[in-house]
Amino acid sequence: MISKALVTDAAIIEGILLDDETALSRLYKLHFPMVLFFVQSNSGTEDDAKDIFQEAVIVFYEKVKAGQLELHCQIKTYLYSICRRLWLKKLSRSSRFSHGMVEDTESELTPQVEDEAEQAEQNELKFEAMGNALAQLGEPCKTLLEDFYIRSMGMPEITEKFGYNNVDSAKNQKYKCLMRLKKLFFLDYQVPS
Amino acid sequence: MSDRELLELIERYHQHQVTSDERRMLQERMAADPVFAQRVREMELFTSTLQQHGRQKSLRERLNQEHLAWKLENQKAMPQAPVLKPRKPIQIFMRRYAATMGVAATVAIVTVFSSLLGMEMWRSATKQQTARYVELRREVDDLKRKQNAILNPNPATPKASATNPGQFSGTGFVLTSDGYFVTSYHVIEGADSLMIENKAGTKYKVEEIYSDQVRDLALLRVIDTAFTGFGKLPYSFKKKESDLGERVFTLGYPREDIVFGEGTLSSRSGVYGDTASYQISIPLNPGNSGGPLLDDRGNMIGVISGKMLGVDGAAFAVKSAYLLSLLEQLPEHRLPQPIALPKVNALAGTSRPQQLKKLQDFVYMVKVYN
Repeated sequence: MISKALVTDAAIIEGILLDDETALSRLYKLHFPMVLFFVQSNSGTEDDAKDIFQEAVIVFYEKVKAGQLELHCQIKTYLYSICRRLWLKKLSRSSRFSHGMVEDTESELTPQVEDEAEQAEQNELKFEAMGNALAQLGEPCKTLLEDFYIRSMGMPEITEKFGYNNVDSAKNQKYKCLMRLKKLFFLDYQVPS
Repeated sequence: MSDRELLELIERYHQHQVTSDERRMLQERMAADPVFAQRVREMELFTSTLQQHGRQKSLRERLNQEHLAWKLENQKAMPQAPVLKPRKPIQIFMRRYAATMGVAATVAIVTVFSSLLGMEMWRSATKQQTARYVELRREVDDLKRKQNAILNPNPATPKASATNPGQFSGTGFVLTSDGYFVTSYHVIEGADSLMIENKAGTKYKVEEIYSDQVRDLALLRVIDTAFTGFGKLPYSFKKKESDLGERVFTLGYPREDIVFGEGTLSSRSGVYGDTASYQISIPLNPGNSGGPLLDDRGNMIGVISGKMLGVDGAAFAVKSAYLLSLLEQLPEHRLPQPIALPKVNALAGTSRPQQLKKLQDFVYMVKVYN
């Protein structure tokens, strides 16, 4: 059993590294029901479970991609611990009765999980803030920035696409857009001290 | 350096397109100027977030698709099996406090019923108490006895027991002049030894001849060697039942001295319809038990036995007819010679104080030792 699970884990990690679509769907099918069960049996809904699980998967995915993942246990355990931590945090925040943190009695890999959970939360906050900032930015700034930073288009291409006179004015435009976006972003998002 | 130049520099720095001079300059400036370093870090965070945003957006979309796919696949397999409906506030409240409420309700129910039960029991107990029949045997005060012993130390007399007033006391009266004596059975119940003593201080040791527990009568006999006889009895015994409303009186020892009590015969049956007793309206106290009940003419008509607590003026006396029938029924070995009861009544026609003067020598305090 253990070796089989390990094989599956290794296959998934490899699949993610190779941008294999099926890896993610296998990950989802294998591990989501467990998180769903946990959240639902702790006064959550399926949507809560989905959000929590996706936060955890994103952290996991990015770590795998960046090659920073230090896995001391199965992926199942790893994801479950993070989800558990995240959900307990969320619960304690929404609860009227507990003021402090929920005491987690079960966690086996507390320090790492704490980090990952923290990271997942920050990630979520950043993502939301950036989404809001981009939505408020408006066209054509949004497309321009997305083209440059996300789709990795070169400045000449962008100059052509948006019909600027030269590369320099496109760069200037991009700079202005970026500054506005930055302002909007930091309105929403506080850098954790 | 303007923000724009800085931005471009940082961008190039991240894309590893900076010259080594530029890189060194940037690093030196960051080390020297914390505000500048903060700006650089913010810029880095911002751009990386922007880039991440793009990546994560597609990742999230894929995950959502996975979720939908998973949902489609699993929806049929587990049709909301463990899905809990969102609870209403009242349901949450009930769920949270159901146990506490249960305990509180149980306590409340137990308290209510036990107090109701307790009150009911208390009421029935007090009711019982109000109609309780008590025997008027007097328990001698232990404390008083000790105090007397201290106040009257009598080391000269070797008979220490002579000062002992006994555990209980009652009243008794002379049946025949040759030493037979009557009292209530409950007075001498459980006695080891018995003494009788009258107002003049004459003391005799007596023994129990016969006891009738049902009629509450006891027959005693003086066994003292110094005894020479009680003398001629002034009263006689009445065989017939007395009439309602007859004036009756008694003498007894509810305390150390003899006490007179007077009243009327208020019923010809006793407690719980007992036809062996009279009900009389004489105020009686513990210690009166065993005393004689006499009518106006000085006939002995009964033996004081007890009273009802909580009922006004209801005392009881065993009828003399029962005493006489008891004497007739006694077996030969208990009562060796036929008892010579006094036939002549020396009290009739005299005034009450005169009667009492004659009577008081024949009414004794019975002291019970056990």
